[in-house]
Amino acid sequence: MSRQAQKLDSAAGDGAVGIGVLSLDLLGQVLHGLWEPRDRKACRLVSRAFERAEAAHRRALRVLRREPLPRLLRAFPALELLDLSACASLDDASLAAAVAGAGGGLAGLRSVCLARANGVGWRGLEALVAACPKLEAVDLSHCVSAGDREVAALAAAAGLRELRLDKCLAVTDMGLAKVVVGCPRLEKLSLKWCREISDIGIDLLAKKCPELRSLNISYLKVGNGSLRSISSLERLEELAMVCCSCIDDEGLELLSKGSDSLQSVDVSRCDHVTSEGLASLIDGRNFLQKLYAADCLHEIGQRFLSKLATLKETLTLLKLDGLEVSDSLLQAIGESCNKLVEIGLSKCSGVTDEGISSLVAQCSDLRTIDLTCCNLITNNALDSIADNCKMLECLRLESCSLINEKGLKRIATCCPNLKEIDLTDCGVDDAALEHLAKCSELRILKLGLCSSISDKGIAFISSKCGKLVELDLYRCNSITDDGLAALVNGCKRIKLLNLCYCNKITDTGLGHLGSLEELTNLELRCLFRITGIGISSVAIGCKSLIELDLKRCYSVDDAGLWALARYALNLRQLTISYCQVTGLGLCHLLSSLRCLQDIKMVHLSWVSIEGFELALRAACGRLKKLKMLCGLKTVLSPELLQMLQACGCRIRWVNKPLVYKD
Amino acid sequence: MEGRMTSLEAAMKASSSMASNMARNADPDQQTLRPNSVEQFYFPRPGQSLPGIPPFFGPPSSSLYLPNDNEAKFGNQFESNPSQNTDWDPQAIVSNLTFLEQKIKQVKDIVQSMNNRENQVAGGSSELAAKQHLITADLTSIIIQLISTAGSLLPSMKNPLLSSNPAVRQLGNTLGSPMGFGMNANQRPSVDSKTDIPDTGKTSDYDELMNSLNTAQDERDELIKCPNPCGGEGSEPTPMEDHDVKESDDGGEGENLPPGSYVVLQLEKEEILAPHTHFCLICGKGFKRDANLRMHMRGHGDEYKTSAALAKPTKDSGADHAPVTRYSCPFVGCKRNKEHKKFQPLKTILCVKNHYKRSHCDKSYTCSRCNTKKFSVIADLKTHEKHCGRDKWLCSCGTTFSRKDKLFGHVALFQGHTPALPMEDVKVSEASEQPQDSEPLNEMARSMVYSFPSSDGISNLDMKMADDVRGYFSPLNFDPCFGALDDFTRPGFDISENPFSFLPSGSCSYGQQNGDS
Repeated sequence: MSRQAQKLDSAAGDGAVGIGVLSLDLLGQVLHGLWEPRDRKACRLVSRAFERAEAAHRRALRVLRREPLPRLLRAFPALELLDLSACASLDDASLAAAVAGAGGGLAGLRSVCLARANGVGWRGLEALVAACPKLEAVDLSHCVSAGDREVAALAAAAGLRELRLDKCLAVTDMGLAKVVVGCPRLEKLSLKWCREISDIGIDLLAKKCPELRSLNISYLKVGNGSLRSISSLERLEELAMVCCSCIDDEGLELLSKGSDSLQSVDVSRCDHVTSEGLASLIDGRNFLQKLYAADCLHEIGQRFLSKLATLKETLTLLKLDGLEVSDSLLQAIGESCNKLVEIGLSKCSGVTDEGISSLVAQCSDLRTIDLTCCNLITNNALDSIADNCKMLECLRLESCSLINEKGLKRIATCCPNLKEIDLTDCGVDDAALEHLAKCSELRILKLGLCSSISDKGIAFISSKCGKLVELDLYRCNSITDDGLAALVNGCKRIKLLNLCYCNKITDTGLGHLGSLEELTNLELRCLFRITGIGISSVAIGCKSLIELDLKRCYSVDDAGLWALARYALNLRQLTISYCQVTGLGLCHLLSSLRCLQDIKMVHLSWVSIEGFELALRAACGRLKKLKMLCGLKTVLSPELLQMLQACGCRIRWVNKPLVYKD
Repeated sequence: MEGRMTSLEAAMKASSSMASNMARNADPDQQTLRPNSVEQFYFPRPGQSLPGIPPFFGPPSSSLYLPNDNEAKFGNQFESNPSQNTDWDPQAIVSNLTFLEQKIKQVKDIVQSMNNRENQVAGGSSELAAKQHLITADLTSIIIQLISTAGSLLPSMKNPLLSSNPAVRQLGNTLGSPMGFGMNANQRPSVDSKTDIPDTGKTSDYDELMNSLNTAQDERDELIKCPNPCGGEGSEPTPMEDHDVKESDDGGEGENLPPGSYVVLQLEKEEILAPHTHFCLICGKGFKRDANLRMHMRGHGDEYKTSAALAKPTKDSGADHAPVTRYSCPFVGCKRNKEHKKFQPLKTILCVKNHYKRSHCDKSYTCSRCNTKKFSVIADLKTHEKHCGRDKWLCSCGTTFSRKDKLFGHVALFQGHTPALPMEDVKVSEASEQPQDSEPLNEMARSMVYSFPSSDGISNLDMKMADDVRGYFSPLNFDPCFGALDDFTRPGFDISENPFSFLPSGSCSYGQQNGDS
């Protein structure tokens, strides 16, 4: 709980009258200033005045369970953003009923997120759209069962501006046509992975939605004809067409004939696009700012480079992942685009120190440099980066095993803004961390596979980097409980922590982790020393825990599950494969955790078939993903499997023999 | 039409005079006339329609461009036909002449009855027209029989004559076939019948008839005109209107041959509409397939029985020298007519056939499923029937489409229209009652109609016309005259057969004419 909230808390404690005399508007503004949801919750719990203020002023709501949805929608009539993406077991009927029960309470709703809400169908959407006349943004992404009918229901929202349909697998041209006719004011549209959509649909889209600014047609089977249609969009700024293998240089040339509004183009993994096509595209676009060409180019032609030079003033992002580059090419890029802010050279072969230094010598604005797997570079490259790019924020050096603490020292000294650094598999040691600790802004630190890092190094980091949010210590197996004690001392804001295979860690270490209140994702794979006791302390302490991986934690037993069932109420994803749990623990866990949606439970040799059956029956309706052994497929009752499937749960059957471990 | 008619009549008169000349054993002037006519053949002058010499024999291209060769060929042909001398049968001639007498009497009766009826029935012009139509049809069939019988008289007469008199043989060569005689012999009665018909409104019918009888002459006329595609032969040069009918199948669309680089042929509509495309050069019997014609030719003599004669004629013989030929639609004012200022020629005869039927004929084939779509080309109907009833792409306005891109084009065009999803059909029909009501009715009608006509009319026509669509015209074949020699000598001559195959085209063009005027 932040200090701000504590102050408010004490004020409320001194005299509720004091708070009560303030007007709702004022209280609303106070609440508006509170960013952390848990702070607001604290205020709401201690004061009725705050509760009222929040009810009147709350704009955004994220619902995690289905049951309270109707009540919540009634309670917050001023909602503008509604996030139902994490709402467990939300189905068509309950959404329709909740929306109907809210009366006019949804009149102000502008944005609804229904990502991965697989159970929602067209009736619910129809009711929602009818109740929300101001609806502007809908996210239906990853509703894999959503089809034309669902999309057609959305078409009734005439004011819709933003729509995400990523991976709505059943949507065809017909559904798209309904939307584009119904929502002519669309500005952002993502059709990623809607594999049924063809050139015909895109053509109609281009004709009916002239306001379109951002369009994503990644992974579609569309061809150059679509680009011809798209080129007629006068206001298009962003166009993503990742992995459109039917698009080639001819299409890009057609696209270049369109208006000058285009700012960002993503042709990553388009197999048939070459640098010639990009050159002709650039030819028509003098305002291009972002160019994503990852894994699609094999060589860079001279024409492309000369065209690139015409973008000198505008181009800020260039991704050339997977390209075979030379020093002269990097130098040419540096000379052509000296306003670059981000460059991606991930997995580019031929990146050398000379190349990097000639590139960064020209591009002093660079903030993000991705050199993943450029394993030829040494400290010299880091030196030149440090000398030239004072604004550096993100540096990815995974698998650059020739670098060491000297280079990192230069980086840490010269780039005080560094927020993210990836040193996975770089073989760095505690000395390097000592230098990196100077970067007090560091948020993301990845040290996976650096097995020489010890508790000492962690202590350096925790002493300075209080803002750290994500720490990856995958297979840093020298780390012990003391390291974790040091870590939680300094880095209290950690949300993501990976401790897989750090097998010296015991329950004591987990006891320390319990003080990380904001921890959401914790991976503890293969920590065979930890038991239910350690899990209990994590469950009790880490109240925000959403994802927990306990695979191959062979000593974890029912006690751990009981603790999770009791305390980890926000837990959504859980892996307990190979754990020593019994049917009883599993039943209790699955019946208690209301938010649990995804559970992987392979090789639970102590759980009987009845145990699985009962546990799954208890959780049925909430689970969305399930991973189990294939052998269970035949022994579990068919009604149960049918029921799970009807509730939108996808079961992944692992085809392996059961492994006994005791 | 008028201009053409005059030239046609001139041609007829010329040939008939020649026939009479020949009858008087031809004076030597004929010999002097010939080179002149050949010259005209080559260099037709504007405004002059030539009383041409019919190149009745030989392939069309060679007859047009190589008249000397032609002559040689004609000579060869006859010289190689000495066997024909032997089938001179006085018995047959007598029976044929009797038949002719009978028929001429029939014609007289019919014309008289026409005259009587017209006096009786004053009002009811439509009824009158229908009756006239019937009578004309009768008349047509009889006259055709007359012609063919007369034609059949000739081969037996001709050969002794030819062999005895070289001058006549020359003439015979130029006039060519027995058909030439048949024509001329029969012109008199038909011209008489014209005078018998008092009503001026009938001239068009009469034209029809004459056209159908004299296509060979017309064709000759046309051929003489055609090498000059610029027009100016004196027939009306100004097109009346543009017929911008969609003719994607009609060919000639994509190519841009410069005018003058190709030869334009214009077939007459009777020829276009004739069901048969291959005609026996000796007896005039028509066939749908060239192979059948070759089989038939065996009956005309042993020289047609050789394997070379029976073999399929190779396509590329003389292809190197053959000029590029394009076709003109006989419908004046049509964009495909050579008079049109933006004339677009048709590539093949098949194109001409399809174009003429699609653009200038009644759509007489109705789809038996939907009962709404009509076609003039049977193949179009069949294509349609393949897809009819499968219009699964539906717009919110109720229009159905067989293809998705067509639906999307429609949706793109009209504001507010949107594709209808299959399940929505129910809702749409609930909202607006009309489609719902009409739907079952349509369904019922569809099913009823479907079973009925396919069993008789359409299927018969199908079989007949389907061959046409594929078959080729030879541009210089005879007009549809039926009744071969063989048929005649047979005692049980089937009268109904010949007019039957002739009538559909005749009646069709009749309706067309009325509709246009």
